Amino acid sequence: MTRFWEDIDTGVTYPLGEHAFTAEEIVRFGIAYDPQYFHTDPEAAKFSHFGSLVASGWHTIAMGHRKMVDALHAEAERLKSLGAEPGLSGPSPGINWMQFKHPVRAGDTLSYSMVVASKRPSHSLPGWGILFNHIQATNQNGTLVYRGEVVGFVKMRHTPLGARLVMALARVPGLGSLARRKR
Amino acid sequence: MDNPVTRDRWHFEDLELGRAFTLGPQRVTAEAIKTYAGEFDPLPFHLDEAAAKASILGGLAASGFHTAALSLRMLVEAMLSHCAAMGGLGFEKLSWRRPLMAGDSLGGVATIIGLRRSASNPHMGIVNVHLEMRNQNGQEVMAMTLSNIVEIRHPHPLVLGPAQ
Repeated sequence: MTRFWEDIDTGVTYPLGEHAFTAEEIVRFGIAYDPQYFHTDPEAAKFSHFGSLVASGWHTIAMGHRKMVDALHAEAERLKSLGAEPGLSGPSPGINWMQFKHPVRAGDTLSYSMVVASKRPSHSLPGWGILFNHIQATNQNGTLVYRGEVVGFVKMRHTPLGARLVMALARVPGLGSLARRKR
Repeated sequence: MDNPVTRDRWHFEDLELGRAFTLGPQRVTAEAIKTYAGEFDPLPFHLDEAAAKASILGGLAASGFHTAALSLRMLVEAMLSHCAAMGGLGFEKLSWRRPLMAGDSLGGVATIIGLRRSASNPHMGIVNVHLEMRNQNGQEVMAMTLSNIVEIRHPHPLVLGPAQ
């Protein structure tokens, strides 16, 4: 969650909340980003092997990301209210794998959760650590809908001396590109 | 199992390894970036120009999921809407290589890199599609490999092996 890298526990499951998917929002997302007939047309969708309108997998994971953003924000607020300093998340470098396991239909309610499966210091971004977040959603019957591994950057509380030197070098014109290597 | 929607579309047998589809390009506006982020990724550098300028990204940038969703739409228009598609199994190796900034154009190429019949369902073929997305300067923005199901027109008859 929004904590410093050193303070993040691996292997602990954090609930991220629920979302109920309506036909209206399934169709709206489908028309905007995934206009396949089983995401946009409830009548035509009856001919598909799904047998009804289903949400785009990308809609369900986008909502999971939203839930995570909200949870990180809530955790930051909680830490501030305790007088503690919240950590800082960086942009995500990517998603290693994502599996859509079960269709989501209008009226389904998904429960999202995440667990930091593992973490390590970043080789490319001094003073930052990398998190391997496993995010998943289950529907109201407890059936797994999707699961995936999303990679995230999070700031370290204590930047190692070597890393501080590299960061200082990165501010020198011409040397910056040497310090800013890929992950 | 006749589906009037997909009857005349490309089926699994019509697809070839190495076939490539041009995606976009499409210009991405600040308005579109803020609309997507407001619903799915409400972080300051996706929502507010001033906050974005002060951030690590240096300007208003699309949510990575927005970049992926725009790429998906282009893939549907160029390929999947012409196929007897049966949904996605997921994807792997999605990498966001540089942010898509307001005013940038997004375009790319989708290439079929894998075709195999499902082991469990004789009507389903699995198609692996690799996407490489770039901005107007030819710089890599995002890449990923999707796995999608496309209907098989003529399923192989079930062949039973010799009894053990």
